[in-house]
Amino acid sequence: MSNVSKIIAVHSYKGGTGKTLLSVNLAATFAKAGKKVCVVDLDFRAPSLFAILKAENVEFWFNDYLNNAVDIGKVLLNLSGRLSGNGKFYAALANPATEAIRDMSSKDRKWEMRALGKLLALKETLLASKKFDYLFLDTSPGLQYSSINAIVAADYVIVATTSDRSDVDGTKRMLVELYNLFEKKTGLVLNKVLDSSATAKKTEMGARVKAAYQVPLLGIVPCFCEVLRAEGNFIFAQDKPDHPFTKILTEMARKIESNEVD
Amino acid sequence: MRDQILTKRPVAILEKIEESLEKLNDKMEVMIEIQKGSGGDAAKSSMVLPDSTLDVMTLLSMPDHLRKTAMTICRCGRATAEEIAGSTSRARAVESAYLNQLVIMGYLKKERKGRKAYFFIDPEGRR
Repeated sequence: MSNVSKIIAVHSYKGGTGKTLLSVNLAATFAKAGKKVCVVDLDFRAPSLFAILKAENVEFWFNDYLNNAVDIGKVLLNLSGRLSGNGKFYAALANPATEAIRDMSSKDRKWEMRALGKLLALKETLLASKKFDYLFLDTSPGLQYSSINAIVAADYVIVATTSDRSDVDGTKRMLVELYNLFEKKTGLVLNKVLDSSATAKKTEMGARVKAAYQVPLLGIVPCFCEVLRAEGNFIFAQDKPDHPFTKILTEMARKIESNEVD
Repeated sequence: MRDQILTKRPVAILEKIEESLEKLNDKMEVMIEIQKGSGGDAAKSSMVLPDSTLDVMTLLSMPDHLRKTAMTICRCGRATAEEIAGSTSRARAVESAYLNQLVIMGYLKKERKGRKAYFFIDPEGRR
């Protein structure tokens, strides 16, 4: 596909690999550059976007949209005021209430099939009608229905992985047994890399990643204590514009925008 | 009866014949697919699935050639074999055969509008 990816799913094999951190900060990076973006929380088992974005007075959730209760417009939360510049930053949140989590985990296959249709419809409603530039689908780790739906609906999938042995093995298997079958354009982000010289040897790392995972490398994110210290309390790319983490995300955004992801 | 036919314009009669031939062609394609399916390949095992909902898990378990067709119809919702062929870069006749196979398997519905046959996913699934 030569078209620029507009719907980007962020997925991983294991939890805690930095999916939400990447989704929110990549979206913020695009918004800072004047784009209209939306982050969608599809991790219905452990919703986290709600807390990270400190959302208040949420009337409708993305759950409601998938349940066919409301239009997508009612779910969108405009958080553009949180960012500098004239970009637009929206979020569609997963309901963190225990009752909602229980409800989402008991859906049948027909519901999941319709949910895929609702995700695919976002291309028309958000991208075409509401003129969004990018949608980021923050998924649940592993082979979950909601995550696979997101992968099928996406134009491009970012897989976040760490150097943890169980994560490496699982990610490799997932790429072969899941992504290959759907013929998805995929990019790998190595997160929490301890060897600080790894980022300097980008070309070498890129070749190693390509050999090991058979997918192109989108970026390497070293383990930054400052990012951990922030405890998910602010949008890093917005609050620390000169931090190396922000610069790495800016480079990822550039690659996505110029379609240098193959 | 004879008088009725004679009063119609010949072109209309020819169109009717063409439409009937197309319907016949579709039915033959379906029969060919059923025969192929009884050969014991992967398509057969998915044919006996009790729940024929075209969800992502079903997509994953499908043979590669059918998955490509099914994924394309998931994306466009409703399409003719020709439209599907346009995005999979495979021949129309091939896509038509695969689409008909998906209809037999219960994953898709088929509807004729004039001379065109549209394939789509039934949002209610098969009852």
